[in-house]
Amino acid sequence: MNLRIYINIVILSILGFGVFGILGCQRQDSGRTNKTPVIALVMKTLNHPYFLDMRRGASEAAQNLNIQLIVQAAEREIDAEKQMQIIENLIQRRVSVLCISPSGSKEIVPVIIKANRARIPVLIVDTRVDAAVLQEASGYIEGFVGADNYKGGQLAGKYLADQLNGKGKVAILEGIPGHETGDSRLRGFYQIIQNYPGIQIVSSQTANWERAQGYSVFQNVLQAHPNVDALFSCSDMMALGAIEAIAESGKTGTIKVVGFDASLEARNVVEKGLMLATVAQFPFDMGKRVIENAVLILQGQRIDKDIEIPIQLVTKGELGYR
Amino acid sequence: MKSNHFLFLPGRQLGTLFGLVGLCLILWILSPYFLTLSNLLNIVEQSSVISIIAVGMTFVIITAGIDLSVGSILAFSGVIMASLLQMDLPLLVALSMGLVVGSLCGFLNGVLVSKGLLPPFIATLGMMSIARGAALLVTQGRPISGFSYSFRQLASGEILQIPIPVIIMLVVYISAHFLLTKTRFGRQVYAIGGSEEVSILSGVNVKKVKALVYALSGGLSGLAAIILTARLNSAQPIAGIMYELDAIAATVIGGTSLMGGEGTILGTLVGALIMGVLRNGLNLLNVSSFIQQIVIGSVIILAVLVDMTLKRRNS
Repeated sequence: MNLRIYINIVILSILGFGVFGILGCQRQDSGRTNKTPVIALVMKTLNHPYFLDMRRGASEAAQNLNIQLIVQAAEREIDAEKQMQIIENLIQRRVSVLCISPSGSKEIVPVIIKANRARIPVLIVDTRVDAAVLQEASGYIEGFVGADNYKGGQLAGKYLADQLNGKGKVAILEGIPGHETGDSRLRGFYQIIQNYPGIQIVSSQTANWERAQGYSVFQNVLQAHPNVDALFSCSDMMALGAIEAIAESGKTGTIKVVGFDASLEARNVVEKGLMLATVAQFPFDMGKRVIENAVLILQGQRIDKDIEIPIQLVTKGELGYR
Repeated sequence: MKSNHFLFLPGRQLGTLFGLVGLCLILWILSPYFLTLSNLLNIVEQSSVISIIAVGMTFVIITAGIDLSVGSILAFSGVIMASLLQMDLPLLVALSMGLVVGSLCGFLNGVLVSKGLLPPFIATLGMMSIARGAALLVTQGRPISGFSYSFRQLASGEILQIPIPVIIMLVVYISAHFLLTKTRFGRQVYAIGGSEEVSILSGVNVKKVKALVYALSGGLSGLAAIILTARLNSAQPIAGIMYELDAIAATVIGGTSLMGGEGTILGTLVGALIMGVLRNGLNLLNVSSFIQQIVIGSVIILAVLVDMTLKRRNS
């Protein structure tokens, strides 16, 4: 062997030892056995306040119940394959219970099947699994912990219709098509609005959950329908973008905006009167409840198939903090 | 230096290979779950999509080009294939059409580069956006999901306990290694990367070879799309975002030079596996995804840094 091989080995080994040595110290699991139960929570992403809240809730529950918790997520929210890889790796790691917030309602099913085969119980949190696809593949989940997005959409629709006195032109910003969360919010909203013949939906387009697209799409909507009265946005991120577009066109205050998620920034905007309302979900509670139920599964107890986390409308002066 | 690039480069390749083995040893010490047959197969299966794309990328980079469009082509041929499957076309017809669409996109890249004389970066950057847009247009942004059992077996099936994606990947690597080292086409690919002018003077049909290389890269993206779609039981128009960067990373960790003229298929395999092993190991050790990105970035820089330093010393 020549010199460069040795140098390569030495450098890569040093790198490896360094990295894994340091990181190895950080991890909480100490033993080489898999006897102590470990609960894993795999979320869509870790760079969104919503999921950070969920993680805080989960950590708190894990601490209270004295159970070891692993939290992981793909770098990007929509990366269904990376999420699948993480879960495959955790199956190899033989965690005791898998709690998953699916990046894709259908795309998650194949890896649920893998967990089923490895006899690891699966709990779903936040976003529902597509029931038909799951059944077709004979997959099994222990239960679902989350808010009812359909009801949230209804809540938003009812409030907006009341504020409009049952008549006006409404625009909608949708999430990524095919995402169960956004689709349910939309269906709930439509279900209420269709009872108001005076309300006309002038535009319903996707801004792909993104703030920048919320801004640009709503700019176009304002061009096409300058006299639009209200906006329902399936997420706060897109609503915040739209609010910038509204401000730029000098229409602040004339267009009633209702968002979804009740992020901190959205709450501030509601308080300032730039946004009419937003629908609050409580990801902290979701994280907490899913871990509590995972522990129940570990103890061999039965859990509810559907554990609903309440939703709440956030308006000015009624901020719905918990 | 350039004359022996056609040959096996034992030093460089073994070096990366030992890096991979070293990494595995470290993980074996740190995690009891790492060194099991099922986990090793799991890693290779997870790496199959990126590593198949990386084969095409290796050919392209050896000609001193780059292909940024692979992730988008993967998404586009994936949704075309999925739409055809939904129309109940025979499996083989749908899969072949997916491969044809991928190859055609790649071929277009090649024509733009060789006949249009566009820099590869620009041509494939354009294609990256076009193919992504086309994928979104065809599907109206919605994923297409729910396929037959036989199609899903392409990802979840096993032959002698070896997952089918792993077998497909091995076949691709063996064929590509043969193509690059044992055929006239392979030698021409190296020659173009070494010096395009010299290749033209010595009678290589540079335009044709380049067009074929990009078509190969597109076609392999189509093949990767089959595996990815079967794995998720869904073809997403937003699939494969940033896969081009993972494929480039696997290629350069494996010792292929971005300046062209050198690189090996086996090196790329090792590069792709190093990335797969790192991700798997970091997951097993419960390292956050943020730190994972830092680690992978550092490995890319370090691997190439070591390579460049050693080359400079040798020459």
